[in-house]
Formats: sequence, structure tokens, C-alpha cells
Amino acid sequence: MLKYLVRRLLAAIPVLLGLSVVLFAFVHLLPGDPVAALLGQHATPELTAQIREQLGLNKPLYEQYVIYLGQLLSGDLGKSVINNRSVVSELALRFPGTIELTGAALVFAIGLGIPLGRLAARHAQGWTDGVVTVISLLGISIPIFILGYTLQFFLSVQLKWLPTSGRLDPRTHLDAVTNFMLVDSLLAGRLDVFVDAVKHLILPAIALGSIPLAIITRITRAAVLDVANEDYVRTARAKGLSERRVDDRHVMRNAWLPVVTVIGLQVGGLLAGAVITETVFSWNGVGRYVVEAIQDHDYLVVQSTILVFALIFLAVNLLVDVGYAFLNPRIRFS
Amino acid sequence: MLRFKPAALIASTAILFAACQGAASPAPSATSGASSAPSASGASSAPSESAAPSTAVKEGGDLIVGLPGDMVEADPSLVSDSNSSYIQLNVIEGLLGVKPGTLADVIPVLAADLPEKSADGLTYTFKLRPNVKFHDGTDFNADAVVYNYDRQKNAPKPLQDAYNYYFGAVFGWGADSNLKSVEKIDDMTVKFTLVHPQSNFLIAQAPLPQFGIQSPAALKAGDADNPDPGKSPYAQGQGGTGKSMVGTGPFMFKEWTPNDHVTIVKNPNYWDTANVAHLDSVTFKPYADQAAELNALQAGDIDLAQTIAPNDIATLKTDTKFQVIDRGESCNIGNLEMNLKSKPLDNQHIRTAIAYALNKQSYIDAFYAGLAEPADNFMPPATQYYKPLGLPTYDPDKAKSEIQASGLSGDALTLTFYYPSDVARPYMPDPKGLAQAIANDLEAVGFKVNFKTEGWRTGYLADEALGKFPMFLLGWTCDWPGPDNFLVTAFFHFQGDKPNPEFAYGPPELKAAFDKGATAPDDATAQQAWGDAQDILKRDLPFVPLVHSKPPAAASADVMGFKGAGNLNELLNSVWLNR
Repeated sequence: MLKYLVRRLLAAIPVLLGLSVVLFAFVHLLPGDPVAALLGQHATPELTAQIREQLGLNKPLYEQYVIYLGQLLSGDLGKSVINNRSVVSELALRFPGTIELTGAALVFAIGLGIPLGRLAARHAQGWTDGVVTVISLLGISIPIFILGYTLQFFLSVQLKWLPTSGRLDPRTHLDAVTNFMLVDSLLAGRLDVFVDAVKHLILPAIALGSIPLAIITRITRAAVLDVANEDYVRTARAKGLSERRVDDRHVMRNAWLPVVTVIGLQVGGLLAGAVITETVFSWNGVGRYVVEAIQDHDYLVVQSTILVFALIFLAVNLLVDVGYAFLNPRIRFS
Repeated sequence: MLRFKPAALIASTAILFAACQGAASPAPSATSGASSAPSASGASSAPSESAAPSTAVKEGGDLIVGLPGDMVEADPSLVSDSNSSYIQLNVIEGLLGVKPGTLADVIPVLAADLPEKSADGLTYTFKLRPNVKFHDGTDFNADAVVYNYDRQKNAPKPLQDAYNYYFGAVFGWGADSNLKSVEKIDDMTVKFTLVHPQSNFLIAQAPLPQFGIQSPAALKAGDADNPDPGKSPYAQGQGGTGKSMVGTGPFMFKEWTPNDHVTIVKNPNYWDTANVAHLDSVTFKPYADQAAELNALQAGDIDLAQTIAPNDIATLKTDTKFQVIDRGESCNIGNLEMNLKSKPLDNQHIRTAIAYALNKQSYIDAFYAGLAEPADNFMPPATQYYKPLGLPTYDPDKAKSEIQASGLSGDALTLTFYYPSDVARPYMPDPKGLAQAIANDLEAVGFKVNFKTEGWRTGYLADEALGKFPMFLLGWTCDWPGPDNFLVTAFFHFQGDKPNPEFAYGPPELKAAFDKGATAPDDATAQQAWGDAQDILKRDLPFVPLVHSKPPAAASADVMGFKGAGNLNELLNSVWLNR
């Protein structure tokens, strides 16, 4: 097990290195550069040249990459060219918001997707299955921003059930400890604020979680149907076990593997979706940070933040793989 | 003016353009009866106040305001963007201000009266308002005024280069500053001495919170002059009331959660007892997205949207739960700008033909929801020393005869036309649509249009400034409603004797008029010089001014007493909630 973990961690190194090269090339190949964003109308040829030199942008690309890599290896994610703030401190401020949002979206997608998938499988080909299929098709085909605005319009503007945007009522004062609103509100002993934070989470979590919900539902349905025809399930039924017991102990236990794999893969999609969701819901997180940095061609911020995204994605998938062993004792790591 | 020093700017320039070309920019205003600079303009076209207060004013309540972006630093001397200024105006006051609801009426605020100006135009003596205290409880007096001006004049080099834009633009720094000295005469009197007379002395300072007076004790305690604002607790705004943004205004700073909100609270001890704030607090929330902001307004999550897209006006006007607030006179200009180095725009007949070809009113109807007026000058009518120029108006036949007079035909009539791909500005809410409408008009008289586009921040602004665009859409929202802020700062400034490469236009007589106007010791001289500059621009028509837009605010119907101003110089102490 330990050997397996070490091997996986070592394997992540070339992946991250390769990604850093691709990212570096990608952001540098975009038309325009950060100096234009920095200087705007104050650009003069002399000033542009001077700033390019100051930022090291006049060096050959490979040299710039090596410098960047050196910084990364020493744990320095760099600074924004535009406002001089360090990427690490901005991430510390904004990542909790993104984690809270993606976490809630995942809870929504799993919490609803698995029961729906099981329900659809149990009534395969019936009308329940049809309804679930339509829901999941809608979930997967409606873009997040359209769903986001639609939810805002109906549930906030029309019905006034939930707030449109932000992480808390702006009138609330809450001392930032962890920057997780759900945690900070409890630390402050403010149940009302906790409830408010949950209310603010609901719409963005639904918008962001809609695609994973659809995928998890479909995969669960397929996995359950796949297992339901196995001999051991028929045997279980034959020996008179209740449907519920058959379902829980024999069907789901075996259906979990593909479902968990897919959940792990969804984390990447959630981080990408957060970029849009955070803009639509004025959510203070890393997604908006990346959007602003891309608009400014703020090279280091884009590269470093997306690398952190990649790191999270790799870590989650490693956890998923390790999780297999617990879900299915037949799996051994060697 | 507009001395822009290279060097560092790394941090700040971001801020700069935000301000100048800003989504809505800060300040401005002219003088009214000031002892010196008189405003030719003065004209206040009754800027509207939100809903007539027929019922008795209700005290208390919290107002939530949606802004297009977040505050940048919690010290006005370090910012030049419109969002920071909009918030800070309500907290920090200067010696002078602008009468609420007007663009151009300069009034004394922390000064007891308008200053006494010497005959040579070189000194201004201010009597200060007595018995005023800063939000940290310390006294406002001559020492505080001297400290604030000296602090900015002698700001550390990195702050000059990268942050402290307006002080440099209006006075310049250190030994190069036109502000020779600010001296304490007695506890309640200060004297400003200039190197050369400066005709915008009052009008440029009055609207800008950058010339506000902050508590010296708090500035020192918060290390406000640290060359890296990231290390200054004062600039970072994390200490609460009395630690950052410590002014004398009707509201006091309370808290700032970056990217989320800024809250200011009522100053119960405000010196102007007749104008103590009605509201308990105001919270400003940034919205990156206008559709989300509109939803937030309609859902009741915010009470006031500082700016709304023209497309949304009709929706809100039909709903009695909301009001669309006219801000009165415009303080901006949207243009079809040109570089006179490029052919065929170097030919005056061609520029005149373009001016005749454009149906400005049709653009106003299509893209500004009717909330704009056709431009007849290179600055809006509310500007000091403005005069109508009688520029060409829509007449396709005259356009065709001008083309004929130019002697050009066929491919020589091809115009390369740039518009920004990813931005909306108060003076051009829909650049692509506007560009297409203009192209239709141009093609109707015989031109051929070749479109090009670039990202606003990732090339457009820098490339047009470098003179790479032959013909392009751009504009300006005033910092102050003086002729220099439009004609010089925004457009035809000179670098030495060389004209701004953006337009490649600037005859020597224009420079002479600018210099004479900027250093005029008296009003008559200033009026004459700025009038001459406008005549030269009319003669040469270096580009075609299009519109002066009037972007409205929108609010819940129960928001009362809001006084809008075209430059967004809006004090919220008069606002109350009828709920």
C-alpha cells in the first residue's frame, strides 16, 4: 500500500511538469501581453520596452520557463504583474470559497444522483426511468450560466426564497478565521449566519452540480443494472433476502466502483465550472481570480493557479483509487 | 499635466485606466462663483433626485449598493479607479467639494469659504472650518492640511510611479511640482503657493477624494506611506473604524472584505449637523456581471445599482417597484477617433465627409436607450468654457460632395476601423453594434470599411495609444469637468513638442493655446485661451465626436433622496429608505 502510494506520488511529478510546460506555452501564445494590460493608454514604446525588461519578458521563452520552474520548486507561486499581490496569499483568501462551493455542488450531485440512479435502475424502462433520464439530459445539456441566471430569476427574483449572489448577507459582520463561512459562522456561535451561508450556497451549488448530477445518475443507473443481472444477485434473492438487503449488500456494494471513479473525475469538471459559477453568483473564489488573470494575461497567476487545480485533481483521484480497497476488499495494491 | 512616470507602475497602472476610461469614473466639477475660475458652464440641468420626498424622512436602515468592481486600496491617495473613489467620497472630505447633484458648482467643505486668490494667481489662502474632528477623534486643523499635501507631494518614488496618479496629474511631485508649498499661517489658515498660475486649481481638486484630508495620526499609525501598499495596514483597510480611510465625512469606514464588500457607517458626530446621514450604514458590493446585478436588484438583494446596462432600462421602467434615476448632465464623450498619419484620414475632406455621414441620433436611439445627446464639441456641454462648435451634422449628400472634393476614389476610400471586442463603457455600451452602425452609414456614402478588433485590456488601449489604429472607437469620462481634462489629458497632450502619437495631430498654435489656458492667472485669459483651442479643433476636425451619454442608476422604489451626478460624485448622506 505504502509502496503504491509512493509510486503514484512519483508518477504525479512528470504529469505536473508536463502540464507546467503546456500551460506556460499556452498562456504565452495568447495574443497580447500583460504589459499592454498594465500600461493601457499610457503605453509608449520606451515604457513598454522598459517594463518588459523589468518583468523579464524580453528573455527567450525557454529561459523564462526555467526561471518560473526554479521559483515553483522553491515553493514560490509568484506575484501578480497587475497588482503585485502574491499568488499564495490570494489563494489563501479565495480557495476556501471555491472549496465550499465545489464541496456543496458535489454533495448535491452525489446526494441526489445516486438515489436517482438507483431509482431509475429499479424501474428501468418505466416512466420513472424516463423522468430521471430527462432530468439528467437537461442537467448535462444546459450551460451553467443559463441555469444560474434561470435559477436566480425564478427562485430569487420571483419567489424571493434565496439570495441571488455572494457568500453571506453583506450586512453581516463575521470575523474571518478560516474563510470557510460555514466554519467561521459556527466558530462565532452564530447559527443565523450559518443558515444564511447555507442559503447563499444553494443556488450556485445546484448550478455547478447539475452536470455531475446528470453524469452520476446515469453511471449509477448503468452500474446497478449491470450488477442486477449477476448470478450472485439472483442467488441472494433466491435465498429470500429482502429487496432492500439485496440492493444494499449485493448490488450497490459491487456497483460502487464505477460510480466512485466517475465522482473522482468530476472534481476536474467542478473546478472548471467554478470559473463560470463564481462569476454568475459574484462568489468570492479562485474561479473569478483566474478569469480576471486570464483577461489581464497575468501569466504567473494563471499558470500557478491552474497548476494548483491540477494538483487537487490528482490528489482527489489518488484518494479515489485508495478508496477502492475499502469499497472492494478484493482489490489489493501492489 | 498627466505626467506619467514610467518606472514602477507595475502595480498601479491597472488602476489608472480603470479611472480614466473608467466604467464610470470619479469625479469632476467646475467652479461656480469661485473667486477665480468661473464656470462658463455652471449649467445644471436639474439632475434628478430619486423619488420626491413627499413623506417625512425616515431615519435608519442599511443601504446596499451594487458597484461594477471592488475597492482597490483603502487610501484615496493610492487609487484612481472609479469604484474606490465612489466609496471614499462619502468618508473623506477635502477643502473643496462639489455641490451635491451638480457637476460644476465648487463649494467649500473643510474650508470655511472659497479661498482668497492673489492677483498674480500664485497663492490661494484658505480659512479652515473650525470644530471639525476626524473619525478617530483627532482635530482637523492647518497642521492636518499641511501634512496631507506634503505627504502626497513627497510620496516615495514607488508610490508616485505606480499609485499616486491624481496628485501627479494635477500638481506633479517633489521638486517638479507646481505646488511650491502649503504653509500653516495659523491653526485655522493655510496658504498654497504655486510655481506658475494654474487655472484648474479649484476645479481639479474639488471633485476628487484624492485631495481629501485624512487624519495624520491614523496615517502615521497605519504606515500609510510604506512604498509597498501591501505592507501598509492603513491601505489594506483591515483594522476597522479609525484605522483606515479616516476622514471627516458623513460616513465612517467600517470594514472591507476584498472582492466581497465594503461597509461604511453613519458618522453621528458629523460637523454639518444639517446633513448628518439618515442611513445607519451603506454596504457596497462588487458585481462582475451586469445580468447578475440586475437580478440582485430585482430580488431585493441590493437597493441601488450604481450603473445598469441601457438594455435593462425598459425592464425596470415598467415595474413600479423600481426607479431609473437620471443623473442630469453628461460628463463624458464617445468618439470616432482617428490617426492623422494614416491614409485617407490625413485628408481633411475625408474626415469632414465621415462627420457628415454619421447619423448620431440613430446610434443614441439604438445603443444608449435614448439617454445621450449628439456631440458638438470635443468635450461635453457641462465643461468649463464649453462653446457649441457647429460641427458637421448628418447629411449624406454633403458627405458625398466632400468625398468628391478629396479627389479620392475606389480603394483609396477603404477605412480600417477598430473596435474593442470585450468591453462596455458608459460612452459606448455596445462597441460592436455601434461600429457596425457607423460602418453602414459610411458605406452608404461610398466608403469601404475593414473591421478589426482587439481585447480591451490585452491590446486595444495600449495599441491605440501607440498610434497603431487608423480609426477607432474610444471616449473619456471626466475626472473634472475642465477643458484641460478632455482636450489635454484625454486627447491632444504633447510630449515635449511632439503631439500624442494616438492621433498624430497637434499644430503649434494648439499647444500654445493649451499652455496659455493651463497657466492663465485669471478667468478672462483662461476663457480666451480655451476658446481658441476649441476653434482650432473645429477648424481641423482631427476626429469625429459622437455622443455624450447619460448612464442612469437604478434603485428600489423606496430609496429616496439620492442625488445623482454625471461624474458619479454622489454623496449618500441625503439618502433614506421609505420602508
